Amino acid sequence: MTTSIRFDLKHGFLVVALALYTAFAAGPFLWVASMSLRTTTEISAEPYALPDTLHFSKFAIAWTDGNYGTYFGNSVIVVLSAVAVLTVIGAMAAHCFARYRFPFRRFLYFLVFSTIIFPPQITIIALFQILVEYGLFNTRTGLVLAYVAFQLPITVYILESFFARIPSDLYDAARMDGYSEWEIFWRISLPVAMPALSTTVILNTILLWNEFLYAVVLITDDDKRTLPLGIQKYMGDQLIDIGMLATGLMIAIVPVVIVYVFFSEKLIQGMTAGAIK
Amino acid sequence: MEHTAGRLTSSEPGLGLRPVGAIAGFLAPALIIYFAFTAYPVVRTIWNSFFQVFPNRPDEFVGWANYATLLFEDRFFHRAVGNTLVWALISPVVEIAIALLLALALYARVPGSRFFRLAWFTPVLMSYVVVGIIWTWIFNFDWGIANGMLRAVGLDHWAQAWLGHPDTALPSLIFVTTWMWAGFNMVVLLAAMHSLPSEVLEAAELDNCGWMAKLRYIVIPLVRPTILNLMVLSFVGKMRVFDLVWITTRGGPLWSTETVSTYVYKRAFNWNTFDLGYPCAIATIWFVVVLGGVLILTGLLRSRDKLEY
Amino acid sequence: MGNVKLDRLTKRYGDADAAAVDDVSLDIERGEFMVLLGPSGCGKSTTLRMIAGLEPITGGTLSIDGEVMNRVPARDRDIAMVFQSYALYPHMTVFDNLAFGLKRRGFAREEIDRRVTDAAGILGLAPYLARKPHALSGGQRQRVALGRAIVRDPKVFLFDEPLSNLDAALRVSMRNELVKLHQRLGTTMIYVTHDQVEAMSMGSRICIMQDGRVAQVGRPLDVYRHPANTFVASFLGSPQINLVESGVTPGEDGRSTLVVGGARIHAHCPPGHSRVIVGIRPEDFYLPGEAPDDAVGASLAARVLAVEALGAETVLLLDVEGVEKDVTARVGRSAHTAAGDLVELTVDTRAMRLFDAASGVALDPGSTTG
Repeated sequence: MTTSIRFDLKHGFLVVALALYTAFAAGPFLWVASMSLRTTTEISAEPYALPDTLHFSKFAIAWTDGNYGTYFGNSVIVVLSAVAVLTVIGAMAAHCFARYRFPFRRFLYFLVFSTIIFPPQITIIALFQILVEYGLFNTRTGLVLAYVAFQLPITVYILESFFARIPSDLYDAARMDGYSEWEIFWRISLPVAMPALSTTVILNTILLWNEFLYAVVLITDDDKRTLPLGIQKYMGDQLIDIGMLATGLMIAIVPVVIVYVFFSEKLIQGMTAGAIK
Repeated sequence: MEHTAGRLTSSEPGLGLRPVGAIAGFLAPALIIYFAFTAYPVVRTIWNSFFQVFPNRPDEFVGWANYATLLFEDRFFHRAVGNTLVWALISPVVEIAIALLLALALYARVPGSRFFRLAWFTPVLMSYVVVGIIWTWIFNFDWGIANGMLRAVGLDHWAQAWLGHPDTALPSLIFVTTWMWAGFNMVVLLAAMHSLPSEVLEAAELDNCGWMAKLRYIVIPLVRPTILNLMVLSFVGKMRVFDLVWITTRGGPLWSTETVSTYVYKRAFNWNTFDLGYPCAIATIWFVVVLGGVLILTGLLRSRDKLEY
Repeated sequence: MGNVKLDRLTKRYGDADAAAVDDVSLDIERGEFMVLLGPSGCGKSTTLRMIAGLEPITGGTLSIDGEVMNRVPARDRDIAMVFQSYALYPHMTVFDNLAFGLKRRGFAREEIDRRVTDAAGILGLAPYLARKPHALSGGQRQRVALGRAIVRDPKVFLFDEPLSNLDAALRVSMRNELVKLHQRLGTTMIYVTHDQVEAMSMGSRICIMQDGRVAQVGRPLDVYRHPANTFVASFLGSPQINLVESGVTPGEDGRSTLVVGGARIHAHCPPGHSRVIVGIRPEDFYLPGEAPDDAVGASLAARVLAVEALGAETVLLLDVEGVEKDVTARVGRSAHTAAGDLVELTVDTRAMRLFDAASGVALDPGSTTG
């Protein structure tokens, strides 16, 4: 009797603690969501109130007047191109590392893999110089190339471990069925590795969508800025229009939230792939 | 007869064929990108660090001068190193301690654990830019919720401009990264715990092993490899932290939140010094420090393993 | 069409001293069902994979219908292979699995449909064509793997332990179906297995391999009755053949006297051997009254250690005086013996084989008589 009461108390305490932590973890996000629908005047009067009227028009204003439409478009173009290139060349390399034995295989894999822990500063200054020299500085193409190089190691790492688990008989069977190595990659490796591919696609999309350092170094024109840069521009203003900035933040967050709602398990899998042993 | 030449040559058992053309074709794009935009920049950065690199002017060789300056004279750099090291050493411990507690709470099969797991993971999905702006507001002196809560419980004199004071700015930012990453670490630890054999924990239950004892003697030792990985990950992440500082404080006030990354950025692109050689020297040194740190961290935690078993 | 010739085929991995496949020569006639039999690691699978083109050949030549195939890639050899793991494409339906090889070879849509429908009919797969492999049972997957080979109508079929993932009952029925399939198609088949029952029941010829080399090639019963060495002798037959070492006392009439336990056996033994290994199959022992009238026998006293009554037959584990290892005998179903009994067994010495004691090589196979 006593034990069960004590257990319930302990249990209740635990639930309260968990709920508090949840409010702590998710609260800031909900707060911005609420602010994004309120005017700056409303926010100044009462920063933590829920919206009275939902000013959805703020999104339209931010999109056009705040130039967020352009930033959003740039982010979409840059991220989608980088992810498409990453997926194809990352999968090709991973397939190769997993399915063939060749000289320097382990060395090359280690070389690519070890860059996962490199601080980006070690490349960014020279990358800036290189892109300037090739006329790719301040272009979306240059940023895409930098992003591909930046995310390549983790992409190859996740895909390689998946490709390595595909039974080699499958490849032999396709060879006997008359297919070349290249055709086998497209018709066997890629379709069979669909789960791992979607993991890397989602992971890379989110990480690059949020990327700031490369963008701030490699892009200077306002009409080429990605969303994090655009937001940061408003942050730098002396008179911050808090309500409008909150709307801008939501424009950056919403796609991530949508991806998370639909692919939360995939996304968690991808983000934690590097850490799980 | 020559069988070793030609396109099919021998190799290990199992993965027999070695079609050279296909291998080269599959690897080439990734390796070209890798060498052009990762390996070459790394080498060039190290090379630059021995020069003064000004635009529209030939590079001028200065030997170890950049290194001498930054090691023995540059007090800003020293401050940045100190701040970054504090961050990179405190964060892994704090984040993972909190994550362990959270993971254990969920591991005890609390109702709604799936929801908690999803909710706690969210901070890490937002960019540092977004997080930085939100927390600037939260730490705002007048209307930030941090001070609001202190005032609500009567601790008015504790209220302050958290990011505006040299003593509190860095701890506040460390607090923000902890808020961001604890949930992520929790999810990883939880996954590791769920892969533990349940018999071990049940046996401990039968031995009337207390909650803390179970944690101390069973769970932590068993998930040690995961903890090690997370620590390295957290360490590396904090050694390169840039966005959050740049958005919130730009290294201020009074250099109290300057990190090596923000300092490199300032010297390379923000101050009008134009010399790219000096920041390259900083980047090179930091590169070596990060690699060394990872090696030491891995070695340290590994050797403790050996002592215990 | 379908003659496969291996001429001193050799496979060496890296700088390993021992070759995985060493000097294997084998002439497989068209339409033959050749079984490569041996324990794991004997090189039989590697040999098969070299024939398939999945493993580079490091020595010797492989020719199919007189054409040297060493450098021809797998996809151009016109060979089909059934894998132990079935290797079905998990993302394709049964139909697409069967059609995959045909599509690559540019067959017309109708021809692909016809062939797939035919093969599905033969194998009883018609109801499952729209399913994916994960929705099939083990036996059905096995049939799809077979079907994938059949639709191709290749010069040669290769089988790599195709039945070893099936349960015992299914294995027996698939064995029969494979034999029927072979009779129906008449295509050359090369079949790798470590299961001597499969080899004996299916092969037109068996090639037994040991340590990368060919130990013996021949028709199943010839190999069973006249094994070339003790390895082959003990690999074929269950329970295993009894191998007993014996001294040789040369006699005057050209026959020598061997001693097995308490029995003295007269046999033709080529000169120059002071010790031999006598091989006696368990079924060549008879209990009193069971021996056929024409058996030429020697008598052997033994103590029964254990009795396995299997219904159709009885297997006795015996302790024979003077013989170190236990002796196994397979006697009639009506044997009334119990552990501990002393029995007097008759050995049919005509079926007895002699091997050199040092090398294990058979001595003048087929010439021993009582």
